[in-house]
Amino acid sequence: MANLKKLIIEPLRKTNPVTVLVLGICSCLAVTAQLKPALVMGLSVTVVTALSNFIISLLRKGIPNRIRIIVQLVVVATLVILIDQFLKAFAYDVSKQLSVYVGLIITNCIIMGRLEAFALSHGPGESFLDGLGNGLGYSLILVIVAFFRELFGSGTLLGYQVIPQSFYEAGYQNNGLMILPPMALIVVGVIIWIQRTRNPEMQENNQN
Amino acid sequence: MKKDVNSNRYIFLYASILIIIVAVLLTVTALWLQPFQDRNKKNEKRISILTAAGIPNVDAKNAPLLFEKHCTGSFLLDESGNISDDGTLPLFVIDRQISVIPMQGNGLWGPIWGYLAIAADGKTILGANFDHKSETPGLGGEITTEKFKGQFSGKQILENGKLVPVQFDAITGATKTSNGVKEMIDNTLEKYSAYLSKIAKRGE
Repeated sequence: MANLKKLIIEPLRKTNPVTVLVLGICSCLAVTAQLKPALVMGLSVTVVTALSNFIISLLRKGIPNRIRIIVQLVVVATLVILIDQFLKAFAYDVSKQLSVYVGLIITNCIIMGRLEAFALSHGPGESFLDGLGNGLGYSLILVIVAFFRELFGSGTLLGYQVIPQSFYEAGYQNNGLMILPPMALIVVGVIIWIQRTRNPEMQENNQN
Repeated sequence: MKKDVNSNRYIFLYASILIIIVAVLLTVTALWLQPFQDRNKKNEKRISILTAAGIPNVDAKNAPLLFEKHCTGSFLLDESGNISDDGTLPLFVIDRQISVIPMQGNGLWGPIWGYLAIAADGKTILGANFDHKSETPGLGGEITTEKFKGQFSGKQILENGKLVPVQFDAITGATKTSNGVKEMIDNTLEKYSAYLSKIAKRGE
C-alpha cells in the first residue's frame, strides 16, 4: 500500500518529470503564458499518461519487441485524438484555447518515457498510478510556472484582474518578458534551483 | 505451443489487428461526436455575430434562441452591393438595422477572423469581434479581449461617401497580428464598400 502511494507522490517531488528528469520542457514553454490552458493541458497529459500506461501494461506481454515503439505511438495517438474530439464536442471553449497543443501531447516525452521505463515492466494497476503520478508532477510544475507568468506578465490569474488598478496608476507595469517563452525556462530553472538547494542529496557530485 | 512473439508473421498480424481496432474506434467516435461538434461551431458563429452587434450576455446555451429572435435576415451580396443568390459576400442583419459582416485574414501563426457590426447609418462601427486559430496567448491572442475589441465601437468608416482606414491601438509585442487585423478590416470594408455606401445614402 505504501508502495502504491509512493508511485503517485514521488513524481511530484523527487522524480518530478519536469524538474528532475527534464522532460516535457517544450510544452512547458508553450502553454504556461496563462493559468487556464496550463491547467487543462496538465489534466489532459495526466489522463493520457495514466491511460496509455495502463493499456500498454495490459498489452506488454504480447507486444513484439521490434515494433513496440510504433505500438506505443499508436496507442498514445489514439488516446490524444479521442481527447481532442471529446473536448471539441463537450468543452469547445477549452479546446479552442488549447488549439494545437492537444495534438502535441503525442510528442510529450514524459508519456513515451513512462511507457518505456515503467509500463513495459510493471502490472496495469501500478502503471496506471505511475502515469497518474507523473502527469500530476508535470501539471504541478506547469501550474506553478503559469501562475508566475500570468501574474507578472498580465496582472491576472485565470483571466481575473489580480493586481489592482491603483498599482498601474502609480506607475506599475506588466512585465512583457514574462509572456515570452524564454521566461518559462527561467522560472523552471529557479524551481530546479530551489528544489536542489532544499534536497542536497539531489545535487550531482562533480568531484569524482 | 508457445507463440514466437518476434516472428515476422506475428508482427504483421499484431500490427494489422491493432490498426483495424484503432481505425474502427476512431471512426465510430468521430461519427458519434460529429453532431455535437457541428452544433458547437454553429453556436460559436452565432455568439460572435450577436456579440459584435452589441447584444449582451450571449452564451452557448441561449445563443440559438437569441439568434432566432434577433437575426432578421442573412443574405449573400454581390460586388455591387445587391442581394443576390450568386453573391459571394455574406451579410447578417440584426434587429432589421445592424449589418454584421464576416472578416477573414491572417495573423502571425495562422488564420484570424471576426465580425464587424455596422450601424444603420452605414458609417459607424457598432462593435467588432475577433478570433484566431493559433496566435500566441498573451500577445496576438489578446485580440479576443474586451479591451481590444471595445476600441472599435463608434469608429467612422465612411467620410463623404468614401472609405477611411480604421485607426486602432495595436498590441505591443504583437505587430504581425495587429497588422493582420488591420489588413483584414481594410480588405473586408473594401469588398463591402458598395453595399455600405448604399445604406449610408439611404440613411441620409
